[in-house]
Amino acid sequence: MIRHTIRHAAGFRARALAFACVAGLLGTVPALADYPDKKLNWTIAFGPGGGNDIMARTMVEIINKYKLYPGDIELQNRAGGSGAVGWGHLYSKSGSDYDISTTSGSFITTPLQANTPWKPADFTPVALLATDDLALVVHGKSKWNTIEEFIADAKKKPPTIAGTGTVNVDFIVPKIFSEKAGFDIKYISFNAMGDMTTALLSNAVDAMVSNPGEIVGMVESKDMKALVYSGEKTPEALGPVPTMKEKGYDVGVSMPRGVILAPGASQEAKDFWIKTFQKIVETPEWQKYIESNFLTENIKYGDDFASFLETTQDGFEKVLREQGAIK
Amino acid sequence: MDIFADLWMGLAVAVSPINILYLLVGAMVGMVVGVIPGFGPSAGLAILLPVTMGMDPTGAIMMLAAIYYGAMYGGTITSILLNTPGESATVASTFDGYPLAKKGRAGPALVMQAVASFAGGTIGVMLLTVLAPAFAQVARNFGPPEYFLLAMLGMITLLVMLGHNWKLGLISALIGFALGTVGVDLETGQSRYTFGSAELIGGIEFIPIAIGLFGLGELFYSFYEGAHKTGADRLIRYSEEKHFWPSLHDWVSTRFTMIRGSLLGFVVGVIPGAGATIASLMAYSLERSVSKRPENFGKGEMAGLVAPEAANNAASSGAMIPLLTLGIPGSGSTAVLLAAFLMWGLRPGPLFMEQNAPLAWGFIASMYLGNMALLVINIFAIPLFVQIIRIPYRILAPIVVVICTIGTFSVASSNIEMYLMFAAGVVGFFMRLYGYSPAALLLALVLGPMAEEALRQTLMISQGSATIFFERPGSNWIMVTTVVLLVVLPLLQRFGRTARADPASAGA
Amino acid sequence: MRIVFLALLLTASLLYSYYAYDTLSFLTTTGRLGPGFFPRIIGTLLVVLCLAALISDRRSAADEGDIGVAADAWSVAAMVLASIGYLVALRLVGGVVGTVIFLLVILSIFNRGRYFLNATLSVAVPACLYLLFVVTLNADMPEGLLPLPF
Repeated sequence: MIRHTIRHAAGFRARALAFACVAGLLGTVPALADYPDKKLNWTIAFGPGGGNDIMARTMVEIINKYKLYPGDIELQNRAGGSGAVGWGHLYSKSGSDYDISTTSGSFITTPLQANTPWKPADFTPVALLATDDLALVVHGKSKWNTIEEFIADAKKKPPTIAGTGTVNVDFIVPKIFSEKAGFDIKYISFNAMGDMTTALLSNAVDAMVSNPGEIVGMVESKDMKALVYSGEKTPEALGPVPTMKEKGYDVGVSMPRGVILAPGASQEAKDFWIKTFQKIVETPEWQKYIESNFLTENIKYGDDFASFLETTQDGFEKVLREQGAIK
Repeated sequence: MDIFADLWMGLAVAVSPINILYLLVGAMVGMVVGVIPGFGPSAGLAILLPVTMGMDPTGAIMMLAAIYYGAMYGGTITSILLNTPGESATVASTFDGYPLAKKGRAGPALVMQAVASFAGGTIGVMLLTVLAPAFAQVARNFGPPEYFLLAMLGMITLLVMLGHNWKLGLISALIGFALGTVGVDLETGQSRYTFGSAELIGGIEFIPIAIGLFGLGELFYSFYEGAHKTGADRLIRYSEEKHFWPSLHDWVSTRFTMIRGSLLGFVVGVIPGAGATIASLMAYSLERSVSKRPENFGKGEMAGLVAPEAANNAASSGAMIPLLTLGIPGSGSTAVLLAAFLMWGLRPGPLFMEQNAPLAWGFIASMYLGNMALLVINIFAIPLFVQIIRIPYRILAPIVVVICTIGTFSVASSNIEMYLMFAAGVVGFFMRLYGYSPAALLLALVLGPMAEEALRQTLMISQGSATIFFERPGSNWIMVTTVVLLVVLPLLQRFGRTARADPASAGA
Repeated sequence: MRIVFLALLLTASLLYSYYAYDTLSFLTTTGRLGPGFFPRIIGTLLVVLCLAALISDRRSAADEGDIGVAADAWSVAAMVLASIGYLVALRLVGGVVGTVIFLLVILSIFNRGRYFLNATLSVAVPACLYLLFVVTLNADMPEGLLPLPF
């Protein structure tokens, strides 16, 4: 329903058109040429300027720089319905080898909340590249210095923990963590990161969960203390903070940042993109992207990515059903 | 003084030719984007952010910020000429801005709004320069209880605004609250009134409703009055316009209004989330309560336009404080700015201004230059804009329909929002016809969700007890301010008026 | 008409309240304010106020004359219908062509006889919008279901 086309560069249309003409001529010959031989349509399921958008644009910039795709790539923002529209478009391209998209957390949560015709498992998985993980932080002047102290007090009195949204990792991660560590929490859901941060700084809540990128400045200035991190490896900027796994409370849930093709794409296309992304993740540009956005590198190709998605979605569904957020 | 050394260094960074160019481009783009109904600062920023990806961070951030405050200047132009606020912060500017234009004072109104925006913007940046660290402490005191009280303050202001027409006004506000409940319930994650539609998960957006209720609703109403038959005269009596420039009286009577509006706007703008909308609304009602002619408000009083304009521009400078010193985005627009900072590997936070001094101070210095540039651009552009209302209405109106429709669509590329805008237009027409208050509906749409979320968060934190409001210093301050604004000031004003009126009546 | 509008509002309020009472819970299982708390209050207040306004309106309707002075309801109706047509046209043929058609139709109704001016405007306005939105701002115009180059 919703379309948002961003012309990649001036004059792109003309080039695309010329390319389409050439492709059209070639098309009269039986398609013997190897994949890929056409323009690639890259769907971004969110508006320009957001996290998903910037990731997709970074990838395309790397692909163009290292000439990893022979044809043109047309980026299209199809925002709306928390990703339902964009991935719905990709779903409607079933069987196509030339339609690709980037995933983020909503890829899991939106189908749980709304009647989308598609499920994450419908698409052809290419690669999981990174995950968004969360740090549990407390006020800089708080009495807790380590996660052990926090848990010990939490067992006596359930702490209030703030996060952004309820149908979100922000809720799931502290929920599972507290269950494994054996305490109760009172989760306070916020609409935006801004009022959540001031809630912690004004001592209205005991702790909050947040992406490292959003709080690292506050941790460096000692206005906040990070106690534990949900990813595989804590970003250096947060200091010597243990991960939940190291403490024996592995939550196993995080927001997948990956790449998918349309449902039923050919094995050939899938292999091509797996190989391409193996090259992309090696580039310094990609490493810089991972670093400056505080993502956790977590690479899984093809079916491993598919089973990761499945585990994550099951985890979400279970917790959200208990909470009563979904029926 | 350290600050001036820093500012001087910032100025040296900002005045490089390429940066000045970026700044001017940003200011112009911001103006244009702000004038288009639907394109507020956040939409403009989001659309242009990807363009800046390959640019040098200093220039790019100056440009993006210029788009942000440039859009605040541009947004008011349609509020005055077409009664269409481009975003929530300029709703209050329509209250007196449009009546002024209707009275044939579009020129002076546009000039005064540009001057008020400049005053607000510049006073805001000055306060930002001098007091950033101090005001960062203010933002740190805002938890859910404070947000709830702030939303209540906004609502009380709204009720005061409704005045004698309270019954229909209250119905209008309740419709706004009702629309505000659509979407995912923040606390439980349960969907409300979405009927399985993914489009409605995010709730009902402000922009399509605002453009529909005001822009299209006003347009239909003008047709009802027969504006299309009589040329331009009916909409805005340009023929009666005697002066393009504001009169001496306009300047003199609003000189303190600008300062009051700017200070209030800045302080409220520092608070993340409340920002420019509540600031402009409070400035409007503060101005009315201290005015010698409160009965003229809503009928084209210059102070009623100047106050919210100074406030919303000062608020956009105020919003830079939590962004730069705490890394907290206070609004959709500053969230995009934060995304830009992160994109270049910059991490705003308490140490940001020390660690990235040239960039941070260059950025602040650029805001002085940007505001000056915008004032000049505005003064030159206003004669052009005034020409718009010379176009016969029967030709102007269809073009306005087109711009409102395409503008609404383009913000989110959403057909649903386009249809919502149109439905709001039809409803807005009947609301105007029968004396309801579209402004109350819109403000309720902003304040309602804020109040609901904050109250539920508060009660969850306090385990259901209301004493939390009295235990926190921030809450106490807001309650004191509310009492001062709503009780003490009007009382003082009343005494002052009778005191002045008495000798006059004695003499007569 | 005034009463019809109120009655429609009342109906909408009743539907809103029905959903609030039927689907949304007032309090959560743990006794906190639930998702239905505010909707129920809003809905109930809306119904009560609409009823009150309806009653006082019926009383005053008798002694209230026609308010329309220069009232031109037909022009409004034409404008609303044309706008609905515009939305349909946008869906079918997209932003540029849809706007050309809409402007041609509406200008030939309200600005009768000035063929050259109307035709020029109908082409120039969408062209300018295309330049502004698509070329300059990188934003998008509505795309139609029919495959047209614009």
